[in-house]
Amino acid sequence: MARIEDLKEEARKLLREGKLKYIIGYAMGSNGWMANPVFIKKPEEVDKLIWDPTCVHNLTRFLVDEKRRKAKEKQPDTRPVGIIVKGCDSRAIVVLLQEKFINRNDVYILGVSCEKAGVVDDHKLVKKLKGKKPKKIELGDKGQFIISTDEGKIEFPVGELLAERCLECKANFPVIYDVLSGEKIKKTLEKPFGSLEKIEALSAEERWNFWKAELDKCIRCYACRSVCPMCYCDECVIDSINMAVTADTSAEEKAQKIKWVQRSPEASENFVYHLVRAIHLGGRCIDCGECERACPLDIPLRFLNKKLEKEAQELFGYEVGFDPAQPSLISCFKDDDPEDFIR
Amino acid sequence: MEKILTKKALPQWVKTLTSYKVYFPKKDQENRWNYLEVGAEDMNLDFLNTTLPPKKLLFPQNEVFLEFFESTDGNQETLEVKEILPGEEPTVIFGVRPCDARAAWLLDKVFSGDFTDPYYWKRRNQTILVGLGCDTPPWENCFCLSVEGSPYSEEGLDILLTDLGNRYLVKSLTENGAKLIQPGKALFQEANPEDQKKAKTIQAESVKKIKRQLKNARGISAKLKGMFDSNIWDEESMSCIRCGICTYLCPSCHCFDINDEVDSTSPLEGKRVRTWDTCQFPDFTMHSSGHNPRPEKASRLRQRLFHKFRYFVENYDKFQCVGCGRCISLCPVGIDIIKVLDKVNEHGT
Amino acid sequence: MAEEFEPKIVAFLCKWCSSAGSDLAGVSRMEYPPNVVPIQVMCSGSISPLYIFSAFNKGADGVLVSGCHPGDCHYIKGNLYARRRLNLVKRLLEYVGLEPQRFQMSWVSAAEGTKYTQIIKDFVKELKPLGPQAKLRRK
Repeated sequence: MARIEDLKEEARKLLREGKLKYIIGYAMGSNGWMANPVFIKKPEEVDKLIWDPTCVHNLTRFLVDEKRRKAKEKQPDTRPVGIIVKGCDSRAIVVLLQEKFINRNDVYILGVSCEKAGVVDDHKLVKKLKGKKPKKIELGDKGQFIISTDEGKIEFPVGELLAERCLECKANFPVIYDVLSGEKIKKTLEKPFGSLEKIEALSAEERWNFWKAELDKCIRCYACRSVCPMCYCDECVIDSINMAVTADTSAEEKAQKIKWVQRSPEASENFVYHLVRAIHLGGRCIDCGECERACPLDIPLRFLNKKLEKEAQELFGYEVGFDPAQPSLISCFKDDDPEDFIR
Repeated sequence: MEKILTKKALPQWVKTLTSYKVYFPKKDQENRWNYLEVGAEDMNLDFLNTTLPPKKLLFPQNEVFLEFFESTDGNQETLEVKEILPGEEPTVIFGVRPCDARAAWLLDKVFSGDFTDPYYWKRRNQTILVGLGCDTPPWENCFCLSVEGSPYSEEGLDILLTDLGNRYLVKSLTENGAKLIQPGKALFQEANPEDQKKAKTIQAESVKKIKRQLKNARGISAKLKGMFDSNIWDEESMSCIRCGICTYLCPSCHCFDINDEVDSTSPLEGKRVRTWDTCQFPDFTMHSSGHNPRPEKASRLRQRLFHKFRYFVENYDKFQCVGCGRCISLCPVGIDIIKVLDKVNEHGT
Repeated sequence: MAEEFEPKIVAFLCKWCSSAGSDLAGVSRMEYPPNVVPIQVMCSGSISPLYIFSAFNKGADGVLVSGCHPGDCHYIKGNLYARRRLNLVKRLLEYVGLEPQRFQMSWVSAAEGTKYTQIIKDFVKELKPLGPQAKLRRK
C-alpha cells in the first residue's frame, strides 16, 4: 500500500538540503473530511502531508501557477518544485512536458500508487452514509474503504465509493516519477470507454436533449477551465480581451470586435464554450475529473472530454499522457488517417 | 400573528396562489438543491440549502437592460433604443434560509441609496420570500451567528416558518406576507401557546448546534484596516485557482458586467446585457490601458475579504458575509474564509 | 404559397484549390444553388474548430470545409492536419446531437468546378428536409 511516510523522509531531506523550492501535496482539510492542497516550504512542515482516498485534487494545476510566478520574477528561483502525484496526475505532467510547457527538471515527482483503489466520490459517500458525518477515510488492506464517523467505523467495498473516473482508470500508478510509494499493479480495463456507451446509444435527438438540459444549467463560472491544468492559455479564446482601446477607438470598432461567445449564459453560447474547450483538450485531457468535481451544478463534463479521448484512440491510435516525446494529437497526422467522412 | 399550517396542507396553500410564480428547492443530486418551479409532489421543504442562492432569482445571471435596432424609414436611418424592464411577474420563493434572506436584505442596501437600480427593484418588489428557519445547521460550514445573523433571523423575510415536526409555525412579518396567507387562510389554524413554546425551544436549541465559529468578527474588521500589505494574503491564496465559485454562489455578492451583445451589424441590432462578474477573475480589474491593479491572486483574495468584512462595514455597518458556508463547502481547493480570518485575528493588531 | 426553406451554407474554401474550383464553376457558368456564403481561407489547415462552432452559433444551417486533395496542399501538409482535426469536430458535433449532415468536408481541386457544384447541390438537397438549424443558433 502506498504510504505517505515513505515519501516524507525524502521530502524532508530535499527541503533541508535546499534542493526544492517547495512541495505541493495534500493535507487535512479544515472544513470537512476532504484533503486540501498544501504548499510545504520548510522541512518541519512535512508532517502536514497526508495520503488517503480523499486526495482527489490534481495538483499539477499548481505547476501552471508556478510557471506564471516565475515568469514575473526578474531573477527567478530555478530550483525544481516537488509535487505529489497519483497516476492520473502524472499523465497531466506528461502532457505538460510534451507541450514543453515545463521542463523535466522543473519538477520533482513524488508518486503514489492507488494500487487497486483510487479516490472517493463525495456524492456517493454522502448517499451511503445516510446522514452520518465522515471524519476520516482510510484504505484497508482487504480492498475496502474504512470511514470513521462519530458513530464508529463503517466499511464499504472500494467499488461502491470510487470516483467514476477511477472505475475507468488507465494509470493507477504514476507513469513518470522520481520516487514512488506503493506497488505498480497494472489494472486491465474491459471497456476503457464504457461510461460513454449509455450516451452514444441514444438517438441524436435524445443526445441533444441530454446535453441541452445539462448545458442550460451552466452559469459560466468557468470553474471547469480554472481547475484544469491543461487550460493554461494566458488569454482564453472565450474571453478575448486583447484589444487596445484608445481615445480614438470608435464605438463601431468596439462593437465589431471579435467576440466568439457572448457573456450571457444562454444555451447556444454555453454550447460554443464547452465544445471549444472540449476540442482544445482533444488529445490533452487525461480525465482527472476535476472539471466535473469543481462544477457547482454537476454538469457531466467528463463525458464531453472523454468522447474525444475515445475518438483519438480509435481513429488515430493516440494515447494521451504516457509518452512525453509524443507530438500533440492535432499537430501530427498519419498518412492513413481516416477520410471516409470527406467527399 | 402566528398561525399553524400542516405540512400536508402546504401544496394546497400553494395551489391557491394562482397569480404567483412559485419556486421550491428541488433536489437534482445527492445534497444538491436548486430553486425551480415544481409540481405538487415536490412542494416540500425537506432540504438543506440550495447551491445557487435566491439571488439567482432576484438578481439573475443575465438580464437584458435595453434593445437597440436600426430602422430605415425611407431615406432616414434611425437608431431606436427600447428599455426592457422585468415584466409583471409576482413571485414567491419558498424555503429561503434566514442567511440567504439576510443577504437579500443586504443586496437591497447596495441597490438603493444614491441610485436605485430599477431592474433589481422591479423584481425585488414583486418577490415574496417565505423563509424556513434552521433547526439544525443545513451545512457543516454554517456560521451565521458569528456574523450577526441567526438560524431564525427575520431580516429580509416576508414569512418565517418554524418546523414543528408535522406542521409549521407560520409567522407573517410584512404586509406582503399577510397578503400571501389570505388566499389560503382556511388552511391555517391559530397557533396555540404550546406550539409557540415548542417553536421557542427549537429556536433556542438551534443556536447551540452551529459548530463553526468565527471569533471576534468585529475585531477582525478593525484589524483588517492595517493588514492591506500583509503577506498573509500571499500564503492563503496559494492554492486559489481563481475559479470564481465563491463569488458566484455567495448570496450577497453582486458584482456585474455590462456588455452590448450585437446580434447583427447591418442593420444594427443588439441588446445591452448585465451578467454576473467576479472579482476573482484576473481580468476583472483590467483597464483598457492594459494595466491591472489586481494581477495576483493574493490581491484578489484580499479584496474579497476586505469587501465582506471591512468595506461593507464602513459603508453600512453590517458584515456583507451572512455565514451561509457555501464558499467554504464548494471551493474546489478548500480555501476556508474562517481559517483565513482566524489568521488575521492572530496576526493583526 | 409558403416560401420553401432555403438553407444557408457557410463554406470555408481554401484559396489555392477549393476557392479556385468554385471560381471555375462560376466562370464556366455552371448553375448551382445560391445558398452558399463562401469564405476564403489560406488553407483548410488554418481552420480553427471555433470558426465552425461560430458559424452554427450565428445561424448557419450547414457548414462546409473544402480543401486540396491530400498531397496537393499548397503548404504541403495543411490539409492533412485538417483531415484529423475536422474529423474530431464532426464526431463531437454529432455526439452532442447535431444532425450529421450539417457539417461536411470535401476535397475539391482548382480544376474540379463540376465537383464543387455537385457538392453544393447535394448539400442543399440534404439540408432542406432538416429545416433551419435551431440547436446551436443564438436566439
